[in-house]
Amino acid sequence: MTAEVLKYTMQQVEDLELAPAAQHEKLEGWVPDLVGEEDLRQALEKAFDYRGDVTVTLKSGERIEAFIFNRRSGATLIDSYVQYYTPTAPEKRKLTYAEIARLEFTGKDRAEGKHWEDWVKKYNEKKAAGEKNIALVPDALD
Amino acid sequence: MAVPISQMWTVATYVLKKKFTGEKRYPLVLMLEPLFRCNLACAGCGKVQYPPHILKKQLSPEECFAAVEECGAPMVSLPGGEPLLHAQIVEIVNGLIARKKYIYLCTNALELKRRLPEFTPSKYLTFSVHLDGMRDHHDFSVCREGGYDIAVEGIKEAVKRGFRVTTNATFFDGTDPNGVRGFFDEVMDMGVEGIVLSPGYSYDKAPDQTKFMGRARVRRLFRAILSNRKPTWKFNMSPLFLEFLMGDRKYECTPWGSPAFNIFGWQKPCYLLQDGYTETYKELIETTKWEDYGVASGNAKCANCMVSCGYEPTAVIEGFGSLKGFWGMVRGTFSSYKDAHALKLLNDSAPHGPAKLVQIAEPAQSLVESGR
Repeated sequence: MTAEVLKYTMQQVEDLELAPAAQHEKLEGWVPDLVGEEDLRQALEKAFDYRGDVTVTLKSGERIEAFIFNRRSGATLIDSYVQYYTPTAPEKRKLTYAEIARLEFTGKDRAEGKHWEDWVKKYNEKKAAGEKNIALVPDALD
Repeated sequence: MAVPISQMWTVATYVLKKKFTGEKRYPLVLMLEPLFRCNLACAGCGKVQYPPHILKKQLSPEECFAAVEECGAPMVSLPGGEPLLHAQIVEIVNGLIARKKYIYLCTNALELKRRLPEFTPSKYLTFSVHLDGMRDHHDFSVCREGGYDIAVEGIKEAVKRGFRVTTNATFFDGTDPNGVRGFFDEVMDMGVEGIVLSPGYSYDKAPDQTKFMGRARVRRLFRAILSNRKPTWKFNMSPLFLEFLMGDRKYECTPWGSPAFNIFGWQKPCYLLQDGYTETYKELIETTKWEDYGVASGNAKCANCMVSCGYEPTAVIEGFGSLKGFWGMVRGTFSSYKDAHALKLLNDSAPHGPAKLVQIAEPAQSLVESGR
Protein backbone atom coordinates (compact mmCIF):
# COMPACT_ATOMS: atom_id res chain seq x y z
CA MET A 1 0.00 0.00 0.00
CA THR A 2 1.43 3.38 -0.84
CA ALA A 3 1.94 5.92 1.90
CA GLU A 4 -1.07 8.05 2.74
CA VAL A 5 0.61 11.41 3.09
CA LEU A 6 -0.69 14.60 4.70
CA LYS A 7 -3.63 13.00 6.40
CA TYR A 8 -2.93 14.42 9.86
CA THR A 9 -1.49 17.74 10.96
CA MET A 10 1.21 17.71 13.66
CA GLN A 11 -1.25 19.14 16.18
CA GLN A 12 -3.84 16.48 15.39
CA VAL A 13 -1.22 13.79 15.85
CA GLU A 14 -0.03 15.18 19.16
CA ASP A 15 -3.59 15.42 20.47
CA LEU A 16 -4.61 11.95 19.37
CA GLU A 17 -6.18 9.94 22.22
CA LEU A 18 -6.91 6.79 20.29
CA ALA A 19 -5.53 5.84 16.92
CA PRO A 20 -7.50 3.65 14.57
CA ALA A 21 -5.79 0.38 13.77
CA ALA A 22 -5.20 -0.96 10.26
CA GLN A 23 -8.34 -2.48 8.78
CA HIS A 24 -8.33 -5.26 6.24
CA GLU A 25 -10.93 -6.36 3.73
CA LYS A 26 -12.05 -9.97 3.75
CA LEU A 27 -10.26 -11.18 0.64
CA GLU A 28 -10.11 -14.95 1.11
CA GLY A 29 -11.80 -16.59 -1.88
CA TRP A 30 -12.00 -13.35 -3.88
CA VAL A 31 -11.38 -13.47 -7.63
CA PRO A 32 -11.00 -9.91 -8.90
CA ASP A 33 -12.40 -8.99 -12.26
CA LEU A 34 -9.33 -7.85 -14.19
CA VAL A 35 -10.90 -5.86 -17.00
CA GLY A 36 -8.43 -3.02 -17.32
CA GLU A 37 -4.88 -2.13 -16.26
CA GLU A 38 -6.06 -0.27 -13.18
CA ASP A 39 -8.04 -3.33 -11.99
CA LEU A 40 -4.86 -5.40 -12.18
CA ARG A 41 -2.78 -2.80 -10.35
CA GLN A 42 -5.34 -2.50 -7.55
CA ALA A 43 -5.77 -6.27 -7.23
CA LEU A 44 -2.01 -6.80 -6.98
CA GLU A 45 -1.80 -4.09 -4.34
CA LYS A 46 -4.37 -6.07 -2.34
CA ALA A 47 -2.46 -9.29 -2.96
CA PHE A 48 0.65 -7.58 -1.56
CA ASP A 49 -1.29 -6.69 1.59
CA TYR A 50 -2.92 -10.13 1.85
CA ARG A 51 -1.70 -12.43 4.62
CA GLY A 52 -2.10 -15.63 2.68
CA ASP A 53 -1.21 -17.26 -0.64
CA VAL A 54 -2.80 -16.33 -3.95
CA THR A 55 -2.96 -18.23 -7.22
CA VAL A 56 -1.68 -16.38 -10.26
CA THR A 57 -2.59 -17.56 -13.75
CA LEU A 58 -0.18 -16.33 -16.40
CA LYS A 59 -1.10 -15.38 -19.94
CA SER A 60 0.86 -18.51 -20.92
CA GLY A 61 -1.69 -20.58 -18.99
CA GLU A 62 0.71 -21.56 -16.19
CA ARG A 63 -0.77 -21.41 -12.65
CA ILE A 64 1.45 -20.38 -9.74
CA GLU A 65 0.63 -20.57 -6.06
CA ALA A 66 2.45 -17.63 -4.49
CA PHE A 67 2.93 -15.53 -1.40
CA ILE A 68 3.39 -12.04 -2.82
CA PHE A 69 5.67 -10.06 -0.50
CA ASN A 70 6.73 -7.18 -2.71
CA ARG A 71 5.51 -5.14 -5.64
CA ARG A 72 6.85 -2.23 -7.59
CA SER A 73 4.48 -0.23 -9.71
CA GLY A 74 6.11 1.38 -12.75
CA ALA A 75 4.81 3.45 -15.65
CA THR A 76 3.79 0.44 -17.71
CA LEU A 77 2.79 -3.13 -16.88
CA ILE A 78 6.13 -4.37 -18.23
CA ASP A 79 7.95 -1.98 -15.87
CA SER A 80 5.89 -3.20 -12.90
CA TYR A 81 6.52 -6.42 -11.04
CA VAL A 82 5.67 -8.54 -8.03
CA GLN A 83 8.10 -10.68 -6.03
CA TYR A 84 6.90 -13.89 -4.44
CA TYR A 85 7.75 -17.19 -2.82
CA THR A 86 6.06 -20.44 -3.80
CA PRO A 87 5.44 -23.26 -1.30
CA THR A 88 8.01 -25.48 -3.03
CA ALA A 89 10.86 -23.34 -4.41
CA PRO A 90 13.46 -21.94 -1.99
CA GLU A 91 14.30 -18.79 -3.95
CA LYS A 92 12.48 -15.48 -4.49
CA ARG A 93 10.79 -15.16 -7.86
CA LYS A 94 9.59 -12.24 -9.93
CA LEU A 95 6.75 -11.65 -12.43
CA THR A 96 5.93 -8.55 -14.43
CA TYR A 97 2.37 -7.30 -14.23
CA ALA A 98 2.19 -7.78 -18.00
CA GLU A 99 2.48 -11.58 -17.62
CA ILE A 100 -0.53 -11.91 -15.31
CA ALA A 101 -3.95 -12.92 -16.64
CA ARG A 102 -5.88 -13.91 -13.51
CA LEU A 103 -5.57 -13.65 -9.75
CA GLU A 104 -7.36 -15.71 -7.09
CA PHE A 105 -7.11 -15.25 -3.33
CA THR A 106 -7.04 -18.99 -2.76
CA GLY A 107 -4.93 -19.29 0.39
CA LYS A 108 -6.21 -18.96 3.93
CA ASP A 109 -6.01 -15.48 5.46
CA ARG A 110 -3.52 -16.24 8.23
CA ALA A 111 -4.70 -13.38 10.43
CA GLU A 112 -8.37 -14.34 10.36
CA GLY A 113 -9.74 -15.34 13.77
CA LYS A 114 -6.60 -14.15 15.55
CA HIS A 115 -7.87 -10.80 16.71
CA TRP A 116 -7.23 -9.72 20.26
CA GLU A 117 -10.97 -9.69 20.87
CA ASP A 118 -11.20 -13.34 19.71
CA TRP A 119 -8.65 -14.33 22.33
CA VAL A 120 -10.39 -12.39 25.12
CA LYS A 121 -13.68 -14.13 24.27
CA LYS A 122 -12.05 -17.57 24.09
CA TYR A 123 -10.17 -17.00 27.33
CA ASN A 124 -13.27 -15.94 29.23
CA GLU A 125 -15.23 -18.94 27.95
CA LYS A 126 -12.50 -21.42 28.88
CA LYS A 127 -11.95 -19.82 32.26
CA ALA A 128 -15.68 -19.96 33.00
CA ALA A 129 -15.64 -23.65 32.06
CA GLY A 130 -12.90 -24.24 34.65
CA GLU A 131 -10.12 -25.03 32.17
CA LYS A 132 -6.49 -24.76 33.27
CA ASN A 133 -3.37 -23.87 31.28
CA ILE A 134 -5.36 -21.91 28.73
CA ALA A 135 -3.29 -21.06 25.68
CA LEU A 136 -3.36 -20.40 21.97
CA VAL A 137 -1.02 -22.58 19.95
CA PRO A 138 0.73 -21.67 16.68
CA ASP A 139 -0.72 -23.10 13.45
CA ALA A 140 0.78 -26.39 12.34
CA LEU A 141 3.44 -25.98 9.67
CA ASP A 142 2.52 -29.08 7.66
CA MET B 1 21.28 3.98 32.39
CA ALA B 2 22.17 0.28 32.46
CA VAL B 3 24.11 0.16 29.20
CA PRO B 4 27.80 -0.75 29.79
CA ILE B 5 30.45 1.91 29.14
CA SER B 6 32.13 -0.10 26.35
CA GLN B 7 28.84 -0.24 24.42
CA MET B 8 28.16 3.45 24.99
CA TRP B 9 31.69 4.28 23.81
CA THR B 10 31.24 2.21 20.64
CA VAL B 11 27.94 3.92 19.83
CA ALA B 12 29.20 7.39 20.78
CA THR B 13 32.29 7.18 18.58
CA TYR B 14 30.20 5.73 15.73
CA VAL B 15 27.71 8.64 15.93
CA LEU B 16 30.49 11.23 16.12
CA LYS B 17 32.31 9.69 13.16
CA LYS B 18 29.11 9.85 11.08
CA LYS B 19 28.56 13.43 12.19
CA PHE B 20 32.06 14.50 11.18
CA THR B 21 31.87 12.72 7.83
CA GLY B 22 28.53 14.40 7.16
CA GLU B 23 26.62 11.17 6.54
CA LYS B 24 22.95 12.07 6.71
CA ARG B 25 21.32 8.67 7.02
CA TYR B 26 23.00 5.82 8.86
CA PRO B 27 21.84 2.85 10.93
CA LEU B 28 22.32 2.37 14.65
CA VAL B 29 20.61 -0.99 15.15
CA LEU B 30 20.04 -3.60 12.47
CA MET B 31 16.73 -5.38 13.08
CA LEU B 32 17.78 -8.78 11.78
CA GLU B 33 14.81 -11.14 11.63
CA PRO B 34 16.27 -14.60 10.99
CA LEU B 35 12.81 -16.23 10.81
CA PHE B 36 9.14 -15.50 11.42
CA ARG B 37 8.29 -18.85 13.05
CA CYS B 38 7.28 -18.60 16.72
CA ASN B 39 6.34 -20.97 19.54
CA LEU B 40 3.75 -18.54 20.87
CA ALA B 41 0.55 -17.48 19.14
CA CYS B 42 0.00 -14.05 20.65
CA ALA B 43 -3.32 -12.62 19.48
CA GLY B 44 -2.84 -9.51 17.43
CA CYS B 45 0.83 -10.21 16.65
CA GLY B 46 1.81 -8.50 13.41
CA LYS B 47 4.96 -10.51 12.77
CA VAL B 48 3.91 -14.13 12.34
CA GLN B 49 0.79 -14.07 10.18
CA TYR B 50 2.21 -15.97 7.21
CA PRO B 51 1.50 -19.24 5.39
CA PRO B 52 3.46 -22.28 6.67
CA HIS B 53 5.93 -22.26 3.75
CA ILE B 54 6.99 -18.72 4.72
CA LEU B 55 7.22 -19.63 8.40
CA LYS B 56 9.54 -22.51 7.51
CA LYS B 57 11.98 -20.24 5.70
CA GLN B 58 14.91 -18.72 7.53
CA LEU B 59 18.01 -16.68 6.87
CA SER B 60 21.29 -18.59 6.73
CA PRO B 61 24.19 -17.42 8.93
CA GLU B 62 25.94 -16.18 5.76
CA GLU B 63 22.92 -14.06 4.80
CA CYS B 64 22.85 -12.62 8.33
CA PHE B 65 26.55 -11.72 8.26
CA ALA B 66 26.26 -10.19 4.79
CA ALA B 67 23.39 -7.95 5.96
CA VAL B 68 25.32 -6.88 9.06
CA GLU B 69 28.40 -6.02 7.05
CA GLU B 70 26.40 -4.29 4.34
CA CYS B 71 24.72 -1.81 6.67
CA GLY B 72 27.53 -1.46 9.26
CA ALA B 73 25.34 -0.79 12.31
CA PRO B 74 27.19 -1.20 15.63
CA MET B 75 24.24 -2.99 17.26
CA VAL B 76 22.10 -5.88 16.02
CA SER B 77 18.71 -6.83 17.36
CA LEU B 78 17.56 -10.38 16.63
CA PRO B 79 13.77 -10.37 16.83
CA GLY B 80 11.43 -12.68 14.96
CA GLY B 81 9.51 -14.96 15.28
CA GLU B 82 11.43 -16.68 18.01
CA PRO B 83 15.17 -16.66 17.22
CA LEU B 84 15.86 -19.62 19.51
CA LEU B 85 13.85 -21.81 17.10
CA HIS B 86 16.49 -21.17 14.43
CA ALA B 87 18.71 -24.26 14.24
CA GLN B 88 21.82 -22.15 13.54
CA ILE B 89 21.18 -19.32 15.98
CA VAL B 90 24.33 -20.10 17.98
CA GLU B 91 26.44 -19.86 14.82
CA ILE B 92 24.74 -16.57 13.94
CA VAL B 93 25.33 -15.12 17.41
CA ASN B 94 28.96 -16.27 17.51
CA GLY B 95 29.57 -14.78 14.07
CA LEU B 96 28.16 -11.44 15.18
CA ILE B 97 30.24 -11.48 18.36
CA ALA B 98 33.33 -12.15 16.22
CA ARG B 99 32.38 -9.02 14.27
CA LYS B 100 32.16 -7.08 17.59
CA LYS B 101 28.50 -6.26 17.20
CA TYR B 102 26.40 -5.63 20.30
CA ILE B 103 23.56 -8.13 20.00
CA TYR B 104 20.11 -8.08 21.56
CA LEU B 105 18.63 -11.54 21.09
CA CYS B 106 14.88 -10.96 21.61
CA THR B 107 13.24 -14.07 22.98
CA ASN B 108 10.07 -15.17 24.72
CA ALA B 109 12.44 -17.40 26.73
CA LEU B 110 10.35 -20.55 26.41
CA GLU B 111 13.49 -22.28 25.08
CA LEU B 112 16.07 -20.14 26.86
CA LYS B 113 16.96 -22.34 29.81
CA ARG B 114 17.33 -25.40 27.59
CA ARG B 115 19.56 -23.66 25.03
CA LEU B 116 21.71 -21.54 27.36
CA PRO B 117 24.56 -24.09 27.59
CA GLU B 118 25.15 -23.61 23.85
CA PHE B 119 25.96 -19.91 24.31
CA THR B 120 28.99 -18.25 25.89
CA PRO B 121 28.57 -15.10 28.01
CA SER B 122 29.99 -12.02 26.31
CA LYS B 123 29.74 -8.27 26.72
CA TYR B 124 28.43 -8.29 23.15
CA LEU B 125 25.48 -10.60 23.84
CA THR B 126 22.28 -9.65 25.68
CA PHE B 127 19.20 -11.82 25.99
CA SER B 128 16.27 -9.42 25.74
CA VAL B 129 13.39 -11.37 27.26
CA HIS B 130 9.84 -10.46 26.33
CA LEU B 131 7.92 -9.91 29.57
CA ASP B 132 4.86 -7.67 29.33
CA GLY B 133 4.10 -7.45 33.04
CA MET B 134 3.55 -9.53 36.12
CA ARG B 135 2.48 -13.17 35.86
CA ASP B 136 -1.24 -12.81 35.05
CA HIS B 137 -0.72 -9.85 32.79
CA HIS B 138 2.13 -11.42 30.82
CA ASP B 139 0.43 -14.80 30.42
CA PHE B 140 -2.69 -13.11 29.13
CA SER B 141 -0.69 -10.88 26.84
CA VAL B 142 1.16 -13.78 25.19
CA CYS B 143 -1.92 -16.03 25.25
CA ARG B 144 -0.28 -18.77 27.26
CA GLU B 145 -0.82 -19.51 30.93
CA GLY B 146 2.44 -20.59 32.51
CA GLY B 147 4.53 -18.61 30.01
CA TYR B 148 5.69 -16.14 32.67
CA ASP B 149 7.09 -18.83 34.97
CA ILE B 150 9.06 -20.45 32.15
CA ALA B 151 10.46 -17.09 31.03
CA VAL B 152 11.47 -16.12 34.57
CA GLU B 153 13.19 -19.46 35.04
CA GLY B 154 15.17 -18.74 31.85
CA ILE B 155 16.03 -15.21 33.00
CA LYS B 156 17.30 -16.42 36.37
CA GLU B 157 19.40 -19.16 34.80
CA ALA B 158 20.89 -16.71 32.27
CA VAL B 159 21.73 -14.22 35.03
CA LYS B 160 23.27 -17.04 37.09
CA ARG B 161 25.46 -18.07 34.15
CA GLY B 162 26.77 -14.52 33.74
CA PHE B 163 24.85 -13.42 30.64
CA ARG B 164 23.63 -9.90 30.09
CA VAL B 165 19.83 -9.97 30.39
CA THR B 166 17.19 -7.29 29.89
CA THR B 167 13.42 -7.51 29.84
CA ASN B 168 11.40 -6.08 27.00
CA ALA B 169 7.79 -4.95 27.51
CA THR B 170 5.16 -3.44 25.24
CA PHE B 171 2.27 -1.51 26.78
CA PHE B 172 -1.15 -1.08 25.21
CA ASP B 173 -4.23 0.98 25.97
CA GLY B 174 -5.66 0.27 29.40
CA THR B 175 -2.29 -0.55 31.01
CA ASP B 176 -2.31 0.06 34.75
CA PRO B 177 0.71 2.27 35.58
CA ASN B 178 0.84 1.00 39.16
CA GLY B 179 1.00 -2.58 37.90
CA VAL B 180 3.87 -1.63 35.59
CA ARG B 181 5.82 -0.04 38.45
CA GLY B 182 5.35 -3.17 40.53
CA PHE B 183 6.55 -5.18 37.54
CA PHE B 184 9.73 -3.03 37.38
CA ASP B 185 10.46 -3.91 41.04
CA GLU B 186 9.92 -7.57 40.25
CA VAL B 187 12.26 -7.74 37.24
CA MET B 188 15.02 -5.73 38.90
CA ASP B 189 14.90 -8.24 41.77
CA MET B 190 15.63 -10.98 39.20
CA GLY B 191 19.04 -9.40 38.64
CA VAL B 192 18.52 -8.14 35.09
CA GLU B 193 20.77 -5.44 33.70
CA GLY B 194 17.91 -3.19 32.73
CA ILE B 195 14.40 -2.76 31.40
CA VAL B 196 13.36 -2.01 27.82
CA LEU B 197 9.87 -0.74 27.12
CA SER B 198 7.76 0.62 24.32
CA PRO B 199 4.18 1.66 23.59
CA GLY B 200 2.28 -0.70 21.30
CA TYR B 201 1.84 -0.09 17.61
CA SER B 202 -0.78 -1.23 15.12
CA TYR B 203 1.17 -3.35 12.62
CA ASP B 204 -0.26 -3.30 9.12
CA LYS B 205 -0.12 -7.08 8.85
CA ALA B 206 -1.55 -7.74 12.31
CA PRO B 207 -5.02 -9.13 12.79
CA ASP B 208 -7.36 -6.15 13.01
CA GLN B 209 -7.57 -4.46 16.39
CA THR B 210 -10.09 -1.88 17.40
CA LYS B 211 -7.84 0.84 18.75
CA PHE B 212 -4.36 1.81 19.83
CA MET B 213 -3.12 4.53 22.12
CA GLY B 214 -2.67 7.87 20.44
CA ARG B 215 0.21 10.14 21.37
CA ALA B 216 -1.63 12.12 24.07
CA ARG B 217 -2.55 8.92 25.88
CA VAL B 218 0.95 7.44 25.50
CA ARG B 219 2.48 10.54 27.09
CA ARG B 220 0.10 10.39 30.07
CA LEU B 221 0.70 6.69 30.63
CA PHE B 222 4.48 6.97 30.48
CA ARG B 223 4.53 10.11 32.61
CA ALA B 224 2.66 8.16 35.29
CA ILE B 225 4.95 5.14 34.94
CA LEU B 226 8.34 6.82 34.59
CA SER B 227 8.10 9.82 36.93
CA ASN B 228 9.12 9.41 40.57
CA ARG B 229 11.46 6.55 39.69
CA LYS B 230 12.89 4.23 42.26
CA PRO B 231 16.71 4.20 42.44
CA THR B 232 16.71 0.44 41.87
CA TRP B 233 15.17 0.75 38.39
CA LYS B 234 17.60 0.64 35.47
CA PHE B 235 16.61 1.17 31.86
CA ASN B 236 18.57 -0.21 28.94
CA MET B 237 17.44 2.70 26.81
CA SER B 238 18.39 6.28 26.10
CA PRO B 239 17.12 8.57 28.92
CA LEU B 240 16.20 11.07 26.21
CA PHE B 241 13.88 8.53 24.56
CA LEU B 242 12.17 7.93 27.91
CA GLU B 243 11.72 11.70 28.24
CA PHE B 244 10.16 11.67 24.76
CA LEU B 245 7.66 9.04 25.91
CA MET B 246 6.86 11.16 28.97
CA GLY B 247 6.17 14.17 26.75
CA ASP B 248 9.23 16.21 27.76
CA ARG B 249 10.83 16.09 24.31
CA LYS B 250 9.54 16.40 20.77
CA TYR B 251 11.27 14.13 18.29
CA GLU B 252 10.91 13.18 14.65
CA CYS B 253 11.20 9.58 13.59
CA THR B 254 14.55 8.26 12.29
CA PRO B 255 13.26 5.22 10.37
CA TRP B 256 16.64 4.45 8.78
CA GLY B 257 18.14 4.26 12.29
CA SER B 258 16.79 0.71 12.75
CA PRO B 259 16.62 -0.88 9.28
CA ALA B 260 15.06 -4.32 9.08
CA PHE B 261 16.32 -7.29 7.08
CA ASN B 262 14.53 -10.63 6.73
CA ILE B 263 13.81 -13.39 4.20
CA PHE B 264 12.05 -10.86 1.94
CA GLY B 265 14.99 -8.41 1.83
CA TRP B 266 15.47 -4.90 3.26
CA GLN B 267 12.10 -3.69 4.50
CA LYS B 268 10.77 -0.27 3.43
CA PRO B 269 10.60 2.07 5.27
CA CYS B 270 11.11 0.65 8.77
CA TYR B 271 10.80 -2.31 11.09
CA LEU B 272 7.08 -1.69 11.65
CA LEU B 273 5.69 -0.74 8.25
CA GLN B 274 5.92 -3.10 5.29
CA ASP B 275 5.72 -0.91 2.23
CA GLY B 276 7.93 -3.11 0.09
CA TYR B 277 11.46 -4.53 -0.02
CA THR B 278 14.78 -3.84 -1.66
CA GLU B 279 17.61 -6.21 -2.50
CA THR B 280 20.35 -4.06 -0.97
CA TYR B 281 20.76 -1.69 1.95
CA LYS B 282 22.06 0.99 -0.42
CA GLU B 283 18.89 0.71 -2.48
CA LEU B 284 16.79 0.96 0.70
CA ILE B 285 18.49 4.20 1.71
CA GLU B 286 18.52 5.70 -1.78
CA THR B 287 15.07 4.74 -3.09
CA THR B 288 12.79 5.02 -0.05
CA LYS B 289 10.70 8.19 -0.11
CA TRP B 290 11.58 9.07 3.50
CA GLU B 291 9.58 12.29 3.33
CA ASP B 292 6.40 10.17 3.13
CA TYR B 293 6.97 8.71 6.60
CA GLY B 294 7.31 9.91 10.17
CA VAL B 295 4.93 11.98 12.18
CA ALA B 296 5.70 15.25 10.34
CA SER B 297 4.65 13.69 7.04
CA GLY B 298 1.05 13.42 8.22
CA ASN B 299 1.06 9.77 7.16
CA ALA B 300 -1.80 8.14 9.05
CA LYS B 301 0.24 4.95 9.49
CA CYS B 302 2.83 6.89 11.48
CA ALA B 303 0.36 8.93 13.52
CA ASN B 304 0.24 6.77 16.65
CA CYS B 305 3.82 5.60 16.53
CA MET B 306 6.18 6.46 19.37
CA VAL B 307 8.01 3.17 19.16
CA SER B 308 11.66 2.82 20.07
CA CYS B 309 12.84 1.56 16.66
CA GLY B 310 11.96 4.94 15.12
CA TYR B 311 12.45 7.38 17.96
CA GLU B 312 15.27 5.93 20.04
CA PRO B 313 17.77 6.45 17.20
CA THR B 314 16.75 10.13 17.20
CA ALA B 315 17.39 10.27 20.95
CA VAL B 316 20.72 8.43 20.69
CA ILE B 317 21.94 10.69 17.87
CA GLU B 318 21.03 13.75 19.92
CA GLY B 319 22.60 12.27 23.05
CA PHE B 320 25.95 11.48 21.48
CA GLY B 321 25.91 14.09 18.74
CA SER B 322 25.73 17.30 20.78
CA LEU B 323 26.95 18.59 24.15
CA LYS B 324 23.42 19.64 25.07
CA GLY B 325 22.13 16.16 24.28
CA PHE B 326 24.96 14.51 26.19
CA TRP B 327 24.28 16.66 29.23
CA GLY B 328 20.57 15.75 29.00
CA MET B 329 21.53 12.10 28.95
CA VAL B 330 23.80 12.41 32.00
CA ARG B 331 21.14 14.37 33.89
CA GLY B 332 18.46 11.86 32.90
CA THR B 333 20.57 8.92 34.04
CA PHE B 334 20.72 10.23 37.59
CA SER B 335 17.31 11.90 37.87
CA SER B 336 14.33 10.32 39.61
CA TYR B 337 11.98 12.66 37.67
CA LYS B 338 10.06 13.80 40.73
CA ASP B 339 6.61 14.95 39.69
CA ALA B 340 3.75 15.52 42.12
CA HIS B 341 1.17 15.58 39.33
CA ALA B 342 2.33 12.19 38.04
CA LEU B 343 2.09 10.82 41.56
CA LYS B 344 -1.50 12.00 41.66
CA LEU B 345 -2.14 10.24 38.36
CA LEU B 346 -0.87 7.02 39.91
CA ASN B 347 -3.03 7.39 42.99
CA ASP B 348 -6.08 8.27 40.91
CA SER B 349 -5.61 5.32 38.58
CA ALA B 350 -5.60 2.75 41.38
CA PRO B 351 -7.60 4.08 44.33
CA HIS B 352 -8.54 0.61 45.55
CA GLY B 353 -5.29 -1.31 45.15
CA PRO B 354 -3.87 -3.09 42.12
CA ALA B 355 -6.03 -3.02 39.01
CA LYS B 356 -7.62 -6.10 37.47
CA LEU B 357 -6.09 -7.76 34.47
CA VAL B 358 -6.47 -4.87 32.04
CA GLN B 359 -7.54 -6.76 28.97
CA ILE B 360 -10.53 -8.36 30.61
CA ALA B 361 -11.49 -5.52 32.91
CA GLU B 362 -13.02 -2.22 31.94
CA PRO B 363 -10.38 0.12 30.51
CA ALA B 364 -8.55 2.11 33.19
CA GLN B 365 -9.96 5.53 33.83
CA SER B 366 -8.52 8.24 31.70
CA LEU B 367 -5.47 9.94 33.16
CA VAL B 368 -5.20 13.71 33.14
CA GLU B 369 -2.22 15.08 31.30
CA SER B 370 0.37 17.08 33.18
CA GLY B 371 0.58 20.73 32.23
CA ARG B 372 4.37 20.62 32.23
